[in-house]
Amino acid sequence: MKQIVPLHINGDIHEVAIEPGATLLRVLREHLGLIGTKRGCDSGGCGCCTVHLDGKAVYSCMTFALQVAGRKITTIEGLSPDGRLNRLQDAFVEAGAVQCGYCTCGMIMAAQQLLDVTQTPTEEEIRRAIAGNLCRCTGYHKIVAAIKLASAP
Amino acid sequence: MALPKLREFITPADAQGVLNALRNYQDRALIVAGGTFLHGLESRGLLTHVEALIDIQRLGLDYLESGKDGLKLGATALFADLETMPEIRNDPWLGAIKDALVFPPVQVKNAATIGGSVAASCPFFDVPISFMCLDGVVKCRGSSGMRDIPMQEFFTGLFANAMENGEFMVELAIPRPRTRSASAFMKVETNANDLAILNAAVRIDVDESGTCSDARVIAGGGVGETPIRLSDAEQVLVRQRLTPEICARAGLSAKGSVNPISDHRASAAYRSEMTRVMVNRALRQALDRLRQ
Repeated sequence: MKQIVPLHINGDIHEVAIEPGATLLRVLREHLGLIGTKRGCDSGGCGCCTVHLDGKAVYSCMTFALQVAGRKITTIEGLSPDGRLNRLQDAFVEAGAVQCGYCTCGMIMAAQQLLDVTQTPTEEEIRRAIAGNLCRCTGYHKIVAAIKLASAP
Repeated sequence: MALPKLREFITPADAQGVLNALRNYQDRALIVAGGTFLHGLESRGLLTHVEALIDIQRLGLDYLESGKDGLKLGATALFADLETMPEIRNDPWLGAIKDALVFPPVQVKNAATIGGSVAASCPFFDVPISFMCLDGVVKCRGSSGMRDIPMQEFFTGLFANAMENGEFMVELAIPRPRTRSASAFMKVETNANDLAILNAAVRIDVDESGTCSDARVIAGGGVGETPIRLSDAEQVLVRQRLTPEICARAGLSAKGSVNPISDHRASAAYRSEMTRVMVNRALRQALDRLRQ
């Protein structure tokens, strides 16, 4: 049986009719068209579905949509509400940290949480922050460089 | 997530609501909190019968308390919050928990709960064996009241535990040691998001003369269908003044006490050898913490 619940996403409230087992990932992509959040492994192994729940990075493929009614959800679209890339997104472009791009949105959401709480993280802190995100193209070097660039004073 | 028979997602506001839902659905209900291992159960075909998910995150069980008797950790408290407790970060006797919390990715720490990690009863998990080596006690609630189950008696098989139908976990209690104590956890894994090939959690207590008065040696991650307490290895340590040589002997004893599985992650022979290595290293780590 579907339930109609309010989801607070990127500053907007969406009333959505949700099936009991629907994940947040599915609702974002299939109900609301927020396709910046990617579907990868669908089992909490790759990180490309990462979003923020009350400011903390979580895997949206492992989060039931009905569990997050009323909580603050931020997707990659929410980092650039006026269409302008934020500092971290700019740094990914500048450092060339994107190849196929499939992991990029999740990678940025994981890194953004780090930068929200740690202004100038060490390389180890950066690597730990993205340990739950897989990239099969870059070898991570330029991703780490981009996060360092975004955190430079 | 494919739960073919799922009909209802229930979010009770209190414990009675959970008990009512458990009574209505019997073994066709599953308690959820962070939900981070649901896929792990589903992919093994263990959730095809589930008709109701019962979310216990609105019960106010997300507390983390420290008192003179020890720690009281609410079932829905997050790994991320546990990690920031000052005692977990600083106290040698809780070192095993601190070590085990290094491994999960941030996205898991922000969702995974203490109760979920224990009640899932997965023999490959890290955090539960850190609770086991500290003599943690599961507090569960059923229709006839509260019941305590020591962690060392909690796991009864692969994804199986000593809770009965109609009961759910509400708290993990960890008793404060009466003597000087230190613990540590070690793990072999393939990557940050994989289950353990082998893990070990140890605790050593010493009396005023520096002699080991009690010890716990726990191994998990493929040593069997549940994590295992290795009493023979503990006996190598007890009544001894602990040295690196004694730690090495305990590691050797641990290796001789396990009969691990072979799977796609590692062979039984490799797991046996890693039992020796991880127990030895964890004991050395705990010993270093005792000397701090």
